[in-house]
Amino acid sequence: MTKKKKGANEDKIIETKSKTVSGKSQKQKKPVEIEESLKEEDLLQESGTDSDYDGDSLPESLDSDDFDSDFFDSEYDGTQEGTEDGDVEFSEDDVLGNLLEHEGSIDNVDDEESEQVESDNGEEDGSDEGSERDEAVEESDSSEDEVPSRNTVGDVPLEWYKDEKHIGYDITGKKITKKEKQDKLDSFLATMDDSKNWRKIYDEYNDEEVELTKEECNLMRRILKGEAPHADFDPYAPYVDWFKWDDSIHPLSSAPEPKRRFIPSKWEAKKVLKLVRAIRKGLIKFDKPEEEPNVYLLWGDDSTSDQKSKHLTYIPPPKLKLPGHDESYNPSLEYIPTEEEKASYELMYEEDRPKFIPKRFTSLRSIPAYENALKESFERCLDLYLCPRVRKKRINIDPESLKPKLPSRKDLRPYPNSCYLEYKGHTGAVTTISTDSSGEWIASGSTDGSVRMWEVETGRCLKVWQFDEAIMCVAWNPLSRLPVLAVAMGRDLFFLNTELGTDEEQEITKERLHSGNIPEPEASVAAIVTWLPDELYGGIKIRHFKSISSIDWHRKGDYLSTVMASGETRGVVLHQLSKQKTQRLPFKIRGLPVCTLFHPSLSYFFVATRKDVRVYNLLKPGEATKKLETGLREISSMAIHPGGDNLIVGSKEGKMCWFDMDLSSKPYKTLKNHPKDITNVAVHRSYPLFASCSEDSTAYVFHGMVYNDLNQNPLIVPLEILRGHSSKGGVLDCKFHPRQPWLFTAGADSIIKLYCH
Amino acid sequence: MPKHYRPAGKKKEGNAARYMTRSQALKHLQVNLNLFRRLCIVKGIFPREPKKKVKGNHHTYYHVKDIAFLMHEPLLEKFREIKTYQKKVKKAKSKKNEELARLLLTRQPTYKLDRLIRERYPTFIDALRDLDDCLTMVHLFAVLPASDRENLEVKRVHNCRRLTHEWQAYISRCHALRKVFVSVKGIYYQAELEGQKITWLTPHAIQQVFTNDVDFGVLLTFLEFYETLLAFINFKLYHSLNVKYPPILDSRLEALAADLYALSRYIDASSRGMAVEPKVDASSSSQSNDREESELRLAQLQHQLPSSEPGALMHLVADNNKEVEEDEETRVCKSLFKDLKFFLSREVPRESLLFVLPAFGGMVSWEGEGAPFKEDDESITHHIIDKPSAGHVYLSRVYVQPQWIYDCVNARIILPTEKYLVGSRIPPPHLSPFVDNEAEGYVPDYAETIKRLQAAARNEVLPLPGVGKEDLEDPQNLLYAGVMSRAEEAEAAKNKKKMAAQEKQYHEELKMEITASKDVVAPVVTEDEESVPDAMQIAQENADMSTVLMSRKKRKLYEAMKIGQKKKKASVELIEQRKKKLNDAQS
Repeated sequence: MTKKKKGANEDKIIETKSKTVSGKSQKQKKPVEIEESLKEEDLLQESGTDSDYDGDSLPESLDSDDFDSDFFDSEYDGTQEGTEDGDVEFSEDDVLGNLLEHEGSIDNVDDEESEQVESDNGEEDGSDEGSERDEAVEESDSSEDEVPSRNTVGDVPLEWYKDEKHIGYDITGKKITKKEKQDKLDSFLATMDDSKNWRKIYDEYNDEEVELTKEECNLMRRILKGEAPHADFDPYAPYVDWFKWDDSIHPLSSAPEPKRRFIPSKWEAKKVLKLVRAIRKGLIKFDKPEEEPNVYLLWGDDSTSDQKSKHLTYIPPPKLKLPGHDESYNPSLEYIPTEEEKASYELMYEEDRPKFIPKRFTSLRSIPAYENALKESFERCLDLYLCPRVRKKRINIDPESLKPKLPSRKDLRPYPNSCYLEYKGHTGAVTTISTDSSGEWIASGSTDGSVRMWEVETGRCLKVWQFDEAIMCVAWNPLSRLPVLAVAMGRDLFFLNTELGTDEEQEITKERLHSGNIPEPEASVAAIVTWLPDELYGGIKIRHFKSISSIDWHRKGDYLSTVMASGETRGVVLHQLSKQKTQRLPFKIRGLPVCTLFHPSLSYFFVATRKDVRVYNLLKPGEATKKLETGLREISSMAIHPGGDNLIVGSKEGKMCWFDMDLSSKPYKTLKNHPKDITNVAVHRSYPLFASCSEDSTAYVFHGMVYNDLNQNPLIVPLEILRGHSSKGGVLDCKFHPRQPWLFTAGADSIIKLYCH
Repeated sequence: MPKHYRPAGKKKEGNAARYMTRSQALKHLQVNLNLFRRLCIVKGIFPREPKKKVKGNHHTYYHVKDIAFLMHEPLLEKFREIKTYQKKVKKAKSKKNEELARLLLTRQPTYKLDRLIRERYPTFIDALRDLDDCLTMVHLFAVLPASDRENLEVKRVHNCRRLTHEWQAYISRCHALRKVFVSVKGIYYQAELEGQKITWLTPHAIQQVFTNDVDFGVLLTFLEFYETLLAFINFKLYHSLNVKYPPILDSRLEALAADLYALSRYIDASSRGMAVEPKVDASSSSQSNDREESELRLAQLQHQLPSSEPGALMHLVADNNKEVEEDEETRVCKSLFKDLKFFLSREVPRESLLFVLPAFGGMVSWEGEGAPFKEDDESITHHIIDKPSAGHVYLSRVYVQPQWIYDCVNARIILPTEKYLVGSRIPPPHLSPFVDNEAEGYVPDYAETIKRLQAAARNEVLPLPGVGKEDLEDPQNLLYAGVMSRAEEAEAAKNKKKMAAQEKQYHEELKMEITASKDVVAPVVTEDEESVPDAMQIAQENADMSTVLMSRKKRKLYEAMKIGQKKKKASVELIEQRKKKLNDAQS
């Protein structure tokens, strides 16, 4: 008994009141409706009004409408359900005995109503009354919708009443209290005691137990089977043709029988013919095709396999890695990670975590199924069809064999390998050193502003010049008869007379450094440099417009080039000592100049900018004759081989390039030897040696042999790493002794070291 | 080929012309991804790695020739045909034309993969070379439960089981099995056929679980190919034994799930049957009715023959007149368990042991019906048991744990059974036979022991200096040493001499090396008075100095190799450390 139905009933009641209901539906509604109207009447009577009459007049007109349909219905039903009715009625009464119990009151009301109606509709005859009775029967039998439920809450979720004491309201609006719940044990006992208990159904809505009768059970069984609910209903009753043809004069259709009913079908014949032909041709086979054997000898003889396939080469999939000791079900104990190690795996990134953690099982039977078996198989499949396959050569060699075969260092002696002397005296980092062409003296400049001259053999400091600024560069004049020291600091360049050599030489030197007749500078360089007399030490000083970063003497000792790193296009100038004049370069310099070099024998001039080195011909001003692409990020220094064809460039990323200018404009060899900036590189004048020093406080000595045979490439062999300077600041400069295979290094620890062979 | 605008007369060339991305390939072939995947799997087409990836790094590239190869594949057309046919069936079904649908379903187009197998593996050896994955997969599916959801039919699982048993029966019959390793993942077997080492993994015979993160479509496509491949390979192998394929098995044994035993008996019986009447083989290739008859006879023959003959297995082991060309190893394998009789208890992995023991010449029986001999057989020498204790103990036999068999097989000698006895704690560690201990840098103790036992079995003394004492301690070794005959002793002595000479030479070389290295290092040490006298570091850096001259490529390679070496060393060190700790804890 659903709420929906009830709702519908109420609707219908309203409808009947507005007199728009017809036939059967109205019939079904009648009892309730009457009850309602009764109530109304009662109320009206109570209120004492006289509207009684009006109320009656309405149903009257309604009933007159009703009458025919009712009559017809009852007759019709009677014929069709003749036998059924009684039976069903009986069974219903029996079956729904208790269901109907509570209906009693309503039934009573029904009876009353019917009487009432009878009395109301006095004109109605007996047949009508009979139909009324039938209706009542029908109601009870047609469906259980008609059994009004006890509860009137309607179609609301029953959980709303879950916590209440009542389950709803009865028709009079009183609360229906819940029955007490039987406990499980009782209900179980009840089932045990009562054999009919299985038929009991708990009606949640009404909170009562309904016991199904046998007949109801059978009914359900039949419905479940898909049969008609009533046992007596015959779905295959012989057809009764109600329409009697026999006596009729006229046929239903007077059309003559068409021709096609009499001649054989042409299309069928065609279709048959087609099939016959197909069978004859063997297109249609009736027996199943003969099964060929699924497997046979596929590789009978392998002689035919010699033919080359036209396809791409087949790359067989790599085999899976074979399991090691640790994958054993019972590995040695040392393969099993400890608990701490296992815990540490959890902290790792997922990629780093070991895929497989060895476990130990005490016996073969205790091994569980491997949970990743399917997954690993699937991953292998994915690898097989999704991964590009490339044949890669596995290098299975000793890594040592990768190292180039080099001649033994013993054969390349002499080279500087151990510290022989230390020159101490500077108080600041020694930024620069320079050797005298004779090899007897070295000069050094330091950040403390002093320039010192040392005797090489003894380490005695012969002379000290003190300046205000940190010394940037010192450079001996390459001519032995002109012992002049060029010293650069800040914006000034000094020419110092070292007072070495014979008297004649001294005279020439003094004459050169005489500052009395400095000529007027040319207009083009007036803004860049000014030649001034040096009051302090009685030489010449040249003041530049920017601070000087490096200087280089020409091999003839007359010209000197200075580089001003921030001077841009005017960054490089040439000074001529003999004429005491300055000239700008006859060509334009691209990029910021870092350092410059004169070719040892020809009139070439090298200018290193940050990324590359350009070679200019001084005799043919114009564009650079060559551009050497270093591929370095920032060049710091360069040195040229005395042969003039090979150039070494050091960079601030710790790389050193060896250029063979005959070979190519690209480096012949790039050596990555220092972890920090290379501060300077040096080439020995006579021995096949070169060196680099770096801020990592080491200096490398290399053997760099250049052959006269042009077909033979230079041989470069690393010989020695020279250490000794303290790690702070590194080695700032290195120079070779002009005659001996000795190397001077100037450290930021204010010490100059001499390494001998 | 997708058409791009290109100036007239200019051809596409280079990598752009040689490779196409997967989506291009799909468009080109006019197939969907699913079908393309199946084709690739079946044809064995894989993506290639072009030198320059024209379309970007995130694409997969196929070679144009590979795609053209797929384009001309008749299977592609067949797949399309099947697709249209299925449309027909669907249409009939949805129009409620059940009759037509049924009729159509009986005549579905089918396809075969035999041509593809021939194409991919032109020779038998080629097929054997790629057999690893095939065997692993088929063995895995042989133990999977059939599942409706994953579209895995019972028929297929059974087919897999059958194929694996056939394969194992052959390997066992030919004594081609070489190594067995029981791992956590399953049991690894390695066999050697025609010079090819074939390794496969069989899962432990326990209910496998389905995981959700697996695409069964892919797996089943692979399986389809592998099943066909294995069937053809089995055919070839059985053909080489003169045995008819597919085998017809004793239904009684089959019902008892003793397929492997049934198969081995079948092979045995029919190969001897064939030898008696080679006519059968000839007739099978002749007319069909003739063949049917012979098949029937054969079936009858092998139904009667082995069941009436209890010692069929012994014959299997005994008849060796046929194998003329046997290599040394096969002979060793064949005679390892010779004259030993094994009985398997209920709880041991029967399938594995039934495979392994006959492969090494042993005779096996088990608890249950259809077994060749019963438990109370007096001639049983070893009883394999995996329980804490044996119930009824026969004094005439040894009760060992199953690991003993696997260890024996890997060591190729009969190991002493003391450590493997039932109830005597956990057996010694089970070591992988696939590891080269020397190359790995760490030799487990038990490997050392086994090595000594092997040497003892070969009647030679290992020339290791530290072994002498242990040799004396080990009673087993003494026993073996006692057995040595005079002649063998003389030979051993000769060996010893040779070894000693070698050792001497080695020492000399070592000395020379040491002195040479001194020469190099010495001057640095002696002359470096003022600099830091850390001679070791300097020597090492001097050695590293030549790396300065390497090209960048080589230097990187060198560094990578060094890192690899370091890692390996670290892992070995870790193991050694653990071992040390364990030893400390024990003592």
